[in-house]
Amino acid sequence: MTALDGLVIKILLRLGFKGLNSVKKYLAEQEAKRPLSPEEEKQLFPHHRPDSDRVLVVRNLNVEFNVGKGNVVKAVSNVSFDLVRGETLAVVGESGCGKSTLGKAVLQLPHPTGGSVNFLSKELTSMGKKELRDMRPAMQMIFQDPISSLDPRLPVSEVLAEPLRVWNRGNQVEIDAKIDELLGAANLDPAVVRDRRSYEFSGGQCQRISIARALALDPTMIICDEPVSALDVSVQAQILNLLQDMKDRYGLTLIFISHDLAVVKAVSTRVMVMYLGKVCEIGTPDEIYQNTKHHYTRALVGSVPIPDPDRPLSGNLIQGEPPSPANPPSGCRFRTRCPMATEKCAQEEPQLREVSVGHFVACHHPIAE
Amino acid sequence: MKTRKSRPVGFYLAGSWLGLMVFIGLFGWILPLPQWDEAFFDDLGVGPFSPRHLLGTTQDGYDMLAGLVNGARLSVFISFASVLIGGGIGALIGITAAYFRGKYDLIVVSIFNILLSIPNLVLSLALLSVFAYSDADNPASTNRRVMVLIASLIIVIIPILGRISRGSALQWTNREFVLASKSMGTKSFTIIFKHILPNVAPAILSIGFLAIGSVIIVEGSLSILGIGIPGGASWGSMLANGRGNIAYSPHEVYLPALFIALTVISSNWFGDYVRSSLDKRESKI
Repeated sequence: MTALDGLVIKILLRLGFKGLNSVKKYLAEQEAKRPLSPEEEKQLFPHHRPDSDRVLVVRNLNVEFNVGKGNVVKAVSNVSFDLVRGETLAVVGESGCGKSTLGKAVLQLPHPTGGSVNFLSKELTSMGKKELRDMRPAMQMIFQDPISSLDPRLPVSEVLAEPLRVWNRGNQVEIDAKIDELLGAANLDPAVVRDRRSYEFSGGQCQRISIARALALDPTMIICDEPVSALDVSVQAQILNLLQDMKDRYGLTLIFISHDLAVVKAVSTRVMVMYLGKVCEIGTPDEIYQNTKHHYTRALVGSVPIPDPDRPLSGNLIQGEPPSPANPPSGCRFRTRCPMATEKCAQEEPQLREVSVGHFVACHHPIAE
Repeated sequence: MKTRKSRPVGFYLAGSWLGLMVFIGLFGWILPLPQWDEAFFDDLGVGPFSPRHLLGTTQDGYDMLAGLVNGARLSVFISFASVLIGGGIGALIGITAAYFRGKYDLIVVSIFNILLSIPNLVLSLALLSVFAYSDADNPASTNRRVMVLIASLIIVIIPILGRISRGSALQWTNREFVLASKSMGTKSFTIIFKHILPNVAPAILSIGFLAIGSVIIVEGSLSILGIGIPGGASWGSMLANGRGNIAYSPHEVYLPALFIALTVISSNWFGDYVRSSLDKRESKI
């Protein structure tokens, strides 16, 4: 919705047109972005922690893509979560469940189609271009494909100088010093790598440069979109250690998007499981792994390979493929593949509810002990 | 360390021929040559390597070498001017269309398609005969013809290079480094000039050099059709003037034809080499 539309609707509201569809939609949008009192929020979103020092609060986030001929794909629907300063929230789920879209929508690239993204107590979704740009340094992103993350025509020193120049962080000497510091922090030798270009590096090295670039503006939050999926296992460990070091050193808050549960277990302090654009389960990694409540999470956890050749393969893995997000099933979205699905699951959409302290699940028939 | 690939001989040959043409186009008037439109009535249609005329004269007594040097001036000027202006505008429109997408992209692509459906020779012919109409009573000046010719060639080149750069830019606008750049708050203008243009440049340059070749050919064709540059002032027009005398002094036709051919081939080759030397990344994989 553009500023002009907003103005027109405000005039319509003054004149008393409350019944018009566009006005209703506008009112609903404003309602969704309304600041909530802690009690209200606790009631509407039981898994939120309004009493903590939160960096990010996302409420009822929706991302829809127009795929032509009037078809709309709901990549993310009504996702709500919050992020306490210093924590690492892992977002897991199979390919196409909307995890990456969620990460990009938080950064407003592209803008979500509905809901509220509140970052450092500022509402990002209703911001203008300029205001939003001023928020950008505080939130950075690291991408899945390390090689495509760096411009092949620019030497590393230019890649790292770009954010510093855009925000006028010092003169050339200061920028050079900062670049050396960042490269050093990312375990790269500045003298060797400064003048090289991305194609002269391995994937792991490129990913370290990307991390260094994300750190250049001293961000508060970094969204890591599958940062290690494209790397081989030995390098994965290096990158994860580097991320952990950086987090400790710069006091970062991370959103860690991944489909690899083994990696997630190693890095996260909170895990959010997504299926077809919805949150199914959220809790600490120990709870999620040891005390799994959602049938989908159990299938995900069960699919993690265990290095023991004598161990029998787990038989209760889910079958088939996720349904199309253009036409999701009614009620619980997982019911088409769920072993426990009943009539209730088709009619009523399960809401997140607390099953044990800090562990929430959206399921009508959670797994019993 | 970077190892410099040894370039093939063709690169140097093509490059030096193009360089020579540009040089004589710019500084040909300094050379100690007779005036190109001065007729030598003592030497009508002498062959190449004659005492006073290195490349001979035409049946009308014009010095061939002076004509070719003067022709280079016009041909080089027309081709470089139209490709630089048309290519610049086309690349800018194409890249911004690929970057911003949406309705702007849709409109740009439709206009490109409409322009591309007009055959370039027909367009130039139409424009020249309307805007630089010329008959025995009121002949259009050479300058006016050159300007109209360049304008019509620009119109032809904009959609060609625009489409190439749009197609090439589309591969880059969705790369993650562009998204990373956006996410750190870089302005669109900076992203386009710093990240997308340098990556699209090899494709634009190679097509640009190809276009220089085609423009020279179009200019020649128009002169042969009788509506290009009149009076033997360009290579094409020398060819047009000389074609009636091919039986008596074949060098009148062969020499301008040779110059056109060499320049076109050189610009194509040179474009290829420029692209492959700029495209380090692709050649690495």
